[in-house]
Amino acid sequence: MAFHYVVTAHKPTAVTSCVTGNFTSPNDLNLIVAKNSRLEIYLVTPEGLRPIKEVGLYGKVAVMKLYRPQQENKDYLFIVTMRYHAMILECVSDDDNLEIITKAHGNVADRIGKPSDTGIIAVIDPRARVIGLRLYDGLFKIIPLDKENSELKASSIRMDELQVTDVEFLHGCANPTIVLIHQDVNGRHVKTHEISLRDKEFVKIPWRQDNVETEASMIIPVPSPLCGAIIVGQESILYHDGMTSVAVAPPIIKQSTIICYAKVDPSGLRYLLGDMAGHLFMLFLDVETKGDGSDVVKDLKVELLGEISSPECITYLDNGVLYIGSRMGDSQLVKLNTKADDNGSYVTIMESFTNLAPIMDMCVVDLERQGQGQLVTCSGAYKEGSLRIIRNGIGIQEHASIDLPGIKGMWALTVASDGKHDNTLVLAFVGQTRVLSLNGEEVEETEIAGFTSDQQTFYCGNVRYEQIIQVTPVSARLVSAQNKTLVAEWKPPTEKNISVVASNSEQVVVSTGSDLYYIEIHQNELIMKGHTTLNVEIACLDISPLGNNATSSQLVAVGLWTDISACILKLPDLAEVYKENLGGEIIPRSVLMTTFENHTYLLCALGDGSMFYFSLHRESGVLTDKKKVTLGTQPTALRTFKSLSTTNVFACSDRPTVIYSSNHKLVFSNVNMKEVNHMCSLNAEAFPDSLALATDTSVTIGTIDEIQKLHIRTVALQESPRRIAYQEQSQTFGVVSVRMDIQDSTGLNPARPSASTMTQSVTVSSSVGSLSLGKSSVSGISGTNLTPEYGQEVEVHNLLIIDQHTFEVLHAHQLMQQEYAMSLISCQLGDDPNMYYIIGTAIVNPEESEPKQGRLLIFQWADNKLTPISEKEIKGACYSLAEFNGKLLASINSTVRLFEWTAEKELRLECSHFNNIITLYLKTKGDFVLVGDLMRSMTLLQYKTMEGSFEEIARDYNPNWMTGVEILDDDIFLGSENSFNIFVCQKDSAATADEERLQMQEVGQFHVGDMINVFRHGSLVMQNLGETSTPTTGCVLFGTVGGAIGLVTQISSEFFDFLLEVQNRMSSIIKSVGKIEHAHWRSFHTDIKTEPCKGFIDGDLIESFLDLSTDKMKEVVDGLQMIGDGSMRQECTVDDLIKMVEDLTRIH
Amino acid sequence: KCPDPKPKIQTASNFALRSVRRQVGYQSKALDRKFIHSRFCPVQTIRLPNDDGFYTCVRFLPGDQSIVAGADSGDIRIFNIHTGNEEASFSAHDSYVLHTEPSRDGQLLISCSTWGRPLSALWSMNGYEMKHTFGNEEYMEFSKAIQDKLIATKGEAATIYDINTGTAIKSLVPTVGNQYTRNKATFSPYDDLVLCDGVIFDVNSGKQIHKLDKLNQTQSGVFHPNGLEIVSNTEVWDIRTFQLLKTVPILNHSQVIFAPINNTIYAISLEQEEDDDQTFETSFKTVDATDYSSIATFDVKRNVYDLAVNHFDTQIAIVENLGVYHAPQESVVRIYDVGRKRDDEDEQEEEEEDDDEND
Repeated sequence: MAFHYVVTAHKPTAVTSCVTGNFTSPNDLNLIVAKNSRLEIYLVTPEGLRPIKEVGLYGKVAVMKLYRPQQENKDYLFIVTMRYHAMILECVSDDDNLEIITKAHGNVADRIGKPSDTGIIAVIDPRARVIGLRLYDGLFKIIPLDKENSELKASSIRMDELQVTDVEFLHGCANPTIVLIHQDVNGRHVKTHEISLRDKEFVKIPWRQDNVETEASMIIPVPSPLCGAIIVGQESILYHDGMTSVAVAPPIIKQSTIICYAKVDPSGLRYLLGDMAGHLFMLFLDVETKGDGSDVVKDLKVELLGEISSPECITYLDNGVLYIGSRMGDSQLVKLNTKADDNGSYVTIMESFTNLAPIMDMCVVDLERQGQGQLVTCSGAYKEGSLRIIRNGIGIQEHASIDLPGIKGMWALTVASDGKHDNTLVLAFVGQTRVLSLNGEEVEETEIAGFTSDQQTFYCGNVRYEQIIQVTPVSARLVSAQNKTLVAEWKPPTEKNISVVASNSEQVVVSTGSDLYYIEIHQNELIMKGHTTLNVEIACLDISPLGNNATSSQLVAVGLWTDISACILKLPDLAEVYKENLGGEIIPRSVLMTTFENHTYLLCALGDGSMFYFSLHRESGVLTDKKKVTLGTQPTALRTFKSLSTTNVFACSDRPTVIYSSNHKLVFSNVNMKEVNHMCSLNAEAFPDSLALATDTSVTIGTIDEIQKLHIRTVALQESPRRIAYQEQSQTFGVVSVRMDIQDSTGLNPARPSASTMTQSVTVSSSVGSLSLGKSSVSGISGTNLTPEYGQEVEVHNLLIIDQHTFEVLHAHQLMQQEYAMSLISCQLGDDPNMYYIIGTAIVNPEESEPKQGRLLIFQWADNKLTPISEKEIKGACYSLAEFNGKLLASINSTVRLFEWTAEKELRLECSHFNNIITLYLKTKGDFVLVGDLMRSMTLLQYKTMEGSFEEIARDYNPNWMTGVEILDDDIFLGSENSFNIFVCQKDSAATADEERLQMQEVGQFHVGDMINVFRHGSLVMQNLGETSTPTTGCVLFGTVGGAIGLVTQISSEFFDFLLEVQNRMSSIIKSVGKIEHAHWRSFHTDIKTEPCKGFIDGDLIESFLDLSTDKMKEVVDGLQMIGDGSMRQECTVDDLIKMVEDLTRIH
Repeated sequence: KCPDPKPKIQTASNFALRSVRRQVGYQSKALDRKFIHSRFCPVQTIRLPNDDGFYTCVRFLPGDQSIVAGADSGDIRIFNIHTGNEEASFSAHDSYVLHTEPSRDGQLLISCSTWGRPLSALWSMNGYEMKHTFGNEEYMEFSKAIQDKLIATKGEAATIYDINTGTAIKSLVPTVGNQYTRNKATFSPYDDLVLCDGVIFDVNSGKQIHKLDKLNQTQSGVFHPNGLEIVSNTEVWDIRTFQLLKTVPILNHSQVIFAPINNTIYAISLEQEEDDDQTFETSFKTVDATDYSSIATFDVKRNVYDLAVNHFDTQIAIVENLGVYHAPQESVVRIYDVGRKRDDEDEQEEEEEDDDEND
């Protein structure tokens, strides 16, 4: 049997819905953004958006609306999921804690009914009397909101209009009244229905307007006092209120299709409209006052404001600021200006929110050869197309490097300057200290007169009264920062040398073995204020001030040598207030007190690379919530630094780590450097906000990237990337990308500058001759050479060659008209030593149901030149390519074909396999080929070398419409299908009967909730570092339409059983928002069946264990058994489980 | 009047375009379904073991590994579809087997014949023993949601039988029926309604709810699996309002077979009586069951007597006979893969030829 763990490594980023209102409290203005199954709640502040809470739902959000219930002073959130769960959520804040309460919930699905083509529509009456739902053709459902009811029950009203494009509630109606656009054989019409809530039926049709524009698709209800509705079409905009009707056809809206709107002011005179091409318009209602004092709409005006990300939804926040939610590109916070800028745009982008969606393809590469994979994705579409380079951890941008071996410590100082920037670097070596002065980008060795240079410095730093302190084994020296002279010196009263020291700008603690001295720094004076002798020698010390703007500390943290403990001492008398035994035999090597997000921690790193961390009570010094984490394998040193005004801790070790806090949880993020022994913050004139990092051999000065777990770098292409392949030999990426050209009076011209038009070097496939217009294909291709209609958009496909270091587009090769590049690989063929880029194409005639022709094109990139090596005509679209034992494997329409590479550098068909509808995906391993079909799930083929043919080994007979396949091992195969599920098939080679052997067993199934476009073997983390309590085998990454990156890994049967038990306990303990059952959410669900999840552990649920409160954690582990040492069953403690779950979080 | 604007997003009828759109997040399942149901590839031909006689009807058995076929002799035969070998056969009736239907658990089988006694029978698949006989019933089928009942048709009258005892539970006789020549009583998908001779009955009360207008001579109609519509010859009726939703001319005089999944209708023409002889069409049609748009007409070049769809809609079985009605010269059951193109292998040969030419 096969057991798997599936987890999201990067949450979905495509925004499908956004709303604004007072959700968290009556005075808070909130933005709520829905990303697939996640909600992000922000507070709108004058400084920008502040994330305050993230909520995961057990369902993909189909509709999200905020509304103001009657007699309430804040808004409730109404959500319907794709699987028809409806919920009303309220946000309650108690102290700092925000809680989402499910006020009401229910499933609004019908057993019978025809789900509408236009999807799920939900609307709420402006006076919050009723919710309306259009889920099925010919039915309108209503949920009255008149009484508090925890169960949402919908009543159905039969609706004569079968094909409804959009529905809204009208404002200012005595009874709830809907307005809808519907289509029948004659065209599209607008109609209204008044609803009787008592009888639960439509009672009358207040007004209607037949034959509106045939592409009318969106209704905007206009608030009181104007009321009525605006109907937005492809070319025209209509206002209608039953009496007056005003229609305009502004030419500027014709170019694209308007897909979303946002109301600007409460009176409803101005609306923002966004179209698919990313144009932002303002729609004004021009009003005139009639004789009786009432206002009527006289005219509609539309003005282009500027360009934004291709929007999916828009919401107006406040003060001319709006949020643009995008599915195809980065979402944005933009500001509208009253005056146009130089480009005539009224729009300023204030902030962009990274979005990977849709991930069309990706590859895993290790460009820096550190044993850690990076992911390069083809992300976004159309003008938002880009490559994204995704790395786990934090990158250091290197600015300077000095070769200096043997550094034992390093500090940055401000010496004899105005004090704004650091200008000096003090380096400690065994038995000596060297001082470097930083002058612009120049570095030169210098001396500070008051320092001793023939001792190793233990600590050095700027302190109060413009002084500098240097602590060596012999003494602590206070030096004037201006004239660099020694002003005071303190020596230990005994003969013993100083062994450990810690200091802040006002206080110093030093120890000589087990003696500890507390010294205060005054002007020209070092005054000893305390002394104590501990039982044990001191291993490490810390006296970091806690809290914002604090300059001195009340507490000293001490790590002790032989009894392996951490103590907290109170100043000035150095009395012990708390002691924590760490257990084990590894000595603490570094302690640090620090404050993250107003919470104080004590971190204590040990000699083996592991680290304990505690909550530290700032006044009492008591340590609670002990947790342990493994950072590296060598002794670790902890240092604080600031980045973007937040405090972070840098753990120097063989696996450098940045520790920071997110959502009140500590996050440990790898730094992409091999090892760091020492570090200090450096804010020099030439190197602002930098870090100095010392390795065994050198000092590097660099800046640290924005803090986050996955680091994403964007390379904008401004056209749609579809396929990517990496070629190590030529240090390039090959990318298939598509731009839109528009036919105008001068011919086909690119719609906008983009990657393929901006590169210096361009070649073009000749558009004639290369494809022989053979007998079978004449009819197919005859239409292709016709000139497109004026104004028509035409896709132009290119192969881009992109430098792996700079991501500069080195070359673009344009394919023929109507030739679509469908697949791309980089490989070697046969005995030929050259590395080739191979593209599989299709000649696409829109009239045909599938392509009848295509080509296999082989190119070589060498010496900055793209050379066509060979091409082969094929009879269909090449959906997928793979290198297979030195030959080329291609899936072409319904076939799988194997081509040999001849000595003449030509492709020759060797054999084919026919038993599919459309072979979309190919994966290979040894002699085996896994084929993913459009509808017929997956098939395993074996290549028979002797016969030179394929044999069908096993097949999954279930009708799965595939979106991706991957080989996990020789017997186990992973597939994803188009209802957002994944499944695992196993071949049963041992079965005795032929029929059983030929049939794959579906041994695992799981609902991911997002459509997977691509699977790739690989990992985003360093492999095989340290021991783990959670052995996993293999790792397959996947990329989704929603921009999520997930991974699937195999686990043992015992571990599966254990995690399943944890999962079951957690799913019953965690109250899901919206009260959807976890088992329901993860059940394998398609149009034809719903079956329980099996063979998979939901890693997202397991890993949320770390977010639970201690009480809940205890509840989860209560009575839980685990397999301990020696395969004995034993009680699992909270710490055991935390350790296991933390190890699991480290695989991504 | 100005020309209507064209929709900017046109339907991608070419699959290569759809495959890209799907990756961006626009699903077009309906077009993919249409694509699948326009292509069929014969994969297995099952002939009668002896040359005498012909097949009359066919169904897939649960598991989709074998089929059950009726013959004009009254025999019922079971074949493995992979090998084409006969796995079992028994003599069920004295005459032409009109209809056969296995239960979903594969334990029971209904058979109906044209004359002789009994006309209809229920068989146990374990040993092919006759479980119950229904001497005068012309046509029978299982109830749908739970297969615990049988519904039998004789003329315009329907009778519901208990499956275990074989005893009649309820008799449903229209006061005024539509007098269709080939009335077949049938349950609705949730077994709460019965349609018989154009009249809709409530099963619990046995009361007549509504009589549909008679717009053809032969067929009473069947329930759409979506539970909302009745397809009666070319007419589509709304069960909730009894309004005529649509007229679908291509379904005229056709037996409508709903694929168990994928929302598709397979339609085969009923035999036509002309000059005392009966003629069949040589093709079957596929129709989208959501909007009743025509998908394809597929010519098999032989008379189509019956068509069956497997559980996953991945294969269909067709009784194909060549020659005149009562004495076909050649009779086969052919199994087709749904969605695969017929000329896949031909193409291969062609290509080999091409290669030869090139060499």
